[in-house]
Amino acid sequence: MNRLLKIEWLKLKNYRPFWILMGMYTVFSLSICFGGMAFLTWLKNQGADFNGFNPTMLPMYDFPDIWQNLAWLTSLFKIILAFIVIMSINNEINYRIIRQNVIDGFEKKDWLISKLLLNGAIAAYAVLLVVIGGLITGMIYGHPDSRASMFVNTHFLVAFFFDVFIFLCFAMLLIIATRKGALLIIGLLMYTVAFEPFLAFFFYDFPRMSNEFRQIADFFPVQSLRNLVPFPLKRYGLMEVSDMIPIRAMLIATGWLIFNIGMTNWILKRRDL
Amino acid sequence: MEILGTEKLTKKYKRLTALNELDFSIQKGMVFGLLGPNGSGKTTTLGMLLNVIQATSGSYRWFGKPPTPESRRQIGAILEIPCFLPYLTAVQNLKIIAEIKQCSYQAIDKTLETVGLYERRNDPFKTYSLGMKQRLAIGAALLSDPEVLIFDEPTNGLDPKGIVEIRELIIEIAQTGKTIILASHLLDEVQKVCSDFMVLRKGEKLFQGTVEDALLSQKTIEVGSSDLEVLKNALARFSGIKELTMTADQCILKTDSQITTTAIGQFLLEQNIPINHLVKKEGSLEKEFLNILSEHE
Repeated sequence: MNRLLKIEWLKLKNYRPFWILMGMYTVFSLSICFGGMAFLTWLKNQGADFNGFNPTMLPMYDFPDIWQNLAWLTSLFKIILAFIVIMSINNEINYRIIRQNVIDGFEKKDWLISKLLLNGAIAAYAVLLVVIGGLITGMIYGHPDSRASMFVNTHFLVAFFFDVFIFLCFAMLLIIATRKGALLIIGLLMYTVAFEPFLAFFFYDFPRMSNEFRQIADFFPVQSLRNLVPFPLKRYGLMEVSDMIPIRAMLIATGWLIFNIGMTNWILKRRDL
Repeated sequence: MEILGTEKLTKKYKRLTALNELDFSIQKGMVFGLLGPNGSGKTTTLGMLLNVIQATSGSYRWFGKPPTPESRRQIGAILEIPCFLPYLTAVQNLKIIAEIKQCSYQAIDKTLETVGLYERRNDPFKTYSLGMKQRLAIGAALLSDPEVLIFDEPTNGLDPKGIVEIRELIIEIAQTGKTIILASHLLDEVQKVCSDFMVLRKGEKLFQGTVEDALLSQKTIEVGSSDLEVLKNALARFSGIKELTMTADQCILKTDSQITTTAIGQFLLEQNIPINHLVKKEGSLEKEFLNILSEHE
């Protein structure tokens, strides 16, 4: 295990785009954590007013809600992490590194496991950023009385880990299947930030549709992962928000996890390198 | 001791049979040349033996056992082009290979010295010339001090100086007693380096044997005289000549291996036959190769 992760590290540590993308994600993730209050202040200065409340009064940074809020928000940027996975595997395909690794004594399975470990490490880093950002901003902006429940609802951090991890495995499957890195980066970006959200919106909110039909959107590869951490900000509109991870979303996400890894394995096994 | 053996190794693509029921074996210490025109199945064969191409049917054994990742770690191989991450230096690339082969980093500097890249070890791979890339690939193959080395067209695309460098490197490695499999279409190269060879064409094995035997069967002696008829009659009495052909001004002899030009000269002198030409012609693998190919036309 350690050896396989070390090999990934040796492959990436001197690869500049890896550090640029990691840096970008770190900046985005932390600015989401720290920027929330700035945004609310901006809203206030714009004269926004929520039924007589001033926006900065929103208890967005109170424990334990902060974990769900930050996990949901930073999840928007996980596509940057997927780019790392796509670029690194794309290089290995183009420069025939997978083939050389097998010649040198890897099994295809070893190569796959090393990539899964990398995906896990990247997802763990994304969680770590939320933990750091959450602890700091929670202490600064959260209501002091909320600190007692600092470690409540941290299961959303676990859900966030799987959200990122399964998404990275999805990216891995796509690059292994298509072998076209540049096209895939554009395609996945368009799909993740524009096409699927629009489609999901259509299914969820279009009037006069049966409920069974609406549920199709729950199975979309990206939306299904987004459902792991349900949209939390509705609670500030005084609506009920579950603070549990929905079982149904967990099952669907697990299905995608198995599909992504299983398909990648199947393609690798069949393909001549 | 058998290092490698195959049984009915076959690779079929949709319409094309790239390799058809190949049987061959390689013994320890051989420097084995795999010959064949482009597209004859050399790389396909090696790819299957290294587990990167799935065989359609048939099997192979390394070191007398079915192949495993461990057996691949005892093989150093380059297939076609050198494959390294271009943005990493020689040392960084070799560290990855050392991890995969589970050998120590200490071998890296020594290997880079062997292939003459020590001075450039901290430059990115993408800044290397083709010859340097090829040498690094050979270095990577040598890294774990493997029993067996596989080189696929190691001099492809190199300039004459580069070709000589690589060839000398391979001869040096061969002298350490390692088993080497060398796929090439450069016959001169195989003749200079190999002990044994096999000829493939369109996925079929045409021939396997030693280089020495092949060269011997090519060896001829030319004798010229002003009176060819007398010469021919005299030579007919000389034992050890297997075949005699006449050209306009010479007799061309195929002889047993122990027959020398000196013996023939002596014999003709005793018979009082004046000769104006007596030359031994060494064979070349190229001729033999073309013979083998044309026999199977």
